[in-house]
Amino acid sequence: MNANKHDKVRHLRPEELEALAMPGGRKLPARSSAHAVECARCLKEAEELRALHSLLQALAPLQPMVGFSDRVMRRVRLPVSWRVRVLETIRAHWVSTTAALAGVVATVGVGFTFIARYPELTPMTVAAFIVERSTALLWGAVMDVGRLVYGTGIVQTAEGIAGQLTLLTAFVAVATVTLVGMASLRIMLSLMDLPTGSRPASAG
Amino acid sequence: MSYQERSDQDLVRLCLRSDERAARELVERFQRPVFSLVYRMVRDRELAEDLTQEVFVRTFNNLSRYDRSYKFSSWLFKIAYNLTVDHLRKKQVKTISMHGSPDAVTPERQEATSLTLESREESPAALVEGRELAGYLEDAIAELRPEYRTAILLRHVEGRAYEEISDIMGVPLGTVKTYIFRARRELRDLLEDLRDEDDVT
Ligand SMILES: [Zn+2]
Repeated sequence: MNANKHDKVRHLRPEELEALAMPGGRKLPARSSAHAVECARCLKEAEELRALHSLLQALAPLQPMVGFSDRVMRRVRLPVSWRVRVLETIRAHWVSTTAALAGVVATVGVGFTFIARYPELTPMTVAAFIVERSTALLWGAVMDVGRLVYGTGIVQTAEGIAGQLTLLTAFVAVATVTLVGMASLRIMLSLMDLPTGSRPASAG
Repeated sequence: MSYQERSDQDLVRLCLRSDERAARELVERFQRPVFSLVYRMVRDRELAEDLTQEVFVRTFNNLSRYDRSYKFSSWLFKIAYNLTVDHLRKKQVKTISMHGSPDAVTPERQEATSLTLESREESPAALVEGRELAGYLEDAIAELRPEYRTAILLRHVEGRAYEEISDIMGVPLGTVKTYIFRARRELRDLLEDLRDEDDVT
């Protein structure tokens, strides 16, 4: 835009003026340097630019109040990779993690040993066996509790009432076992839920 | 290697592994330039501090979206520019309807945030002169359109290349050149006007 076709003089382009006026910039090609020395107009422009540049350069950098980085860091929530998350969870809950791992290892180990020893067993027969055995155990326990209550002399009114009481005890026992089981499952699930550790929560 | 010795990119990498000390180092490294730019855009210390805080919080909370082929500081300045311009736009709508001027600054505020030029000479006369000049300069900068202001500050104060400024402001290179060219011319004229006004009074 500075070139003038008629007098064939090419004045310095803006980036050349910057190279001349602002230290640390690009080097001027020899032809442009030669022109800069001779041309009063370009020299004046370069001088004005130099003055403005050094004026702006001298503007004091401003600083936020003391404690700025603390205030920022309290609100920052850095992205967390899943690897860090898992490691942190293990570190925070190492007892339950170890117990859970031991449980998994034991279950798998026992299962494999069992299957290796009785190859004729299928998952269905094993499940049926477990259900049958646990039902028998539970029922036995219910009967034991019933006999105990019946035999302690607390309730000795009539045979009919005693029979009904045994049924009631069985119901209470089953309900208790179910509730305890559900509670344990809940606790285990809450432990499995991956918390984000002790990082500060993001505000806003 | 200490955190101060690490490159910006290195620190970003550490931040992505949730290293808080790396994030803190980046805040300390860039709080001054970002705050300076934001302050010169809004001319209110408290507001500038709030906005700068928001810039860093957004930068870190969205770090997984940062394209590492860009300079980290360019990305930071980009967020700062967008946030500030957004704020100015909202404020302009409000202020014009209330006072008719988008850049109304109270005298106390100006006093509270008065700035000085870093003077290499220590004589009192030079210091006073430097202060006056800094005042003129800050006033003149404040008169520029926000785009011109950002472009000229990034070029002359922060020493950013044209390509970077174009990335930061999200405008073509040619537009950045135009902004800077016009900003320089306006700034020179404004400085002369301000000095002339002062000489008369
Ligand atoms: Zn010339």
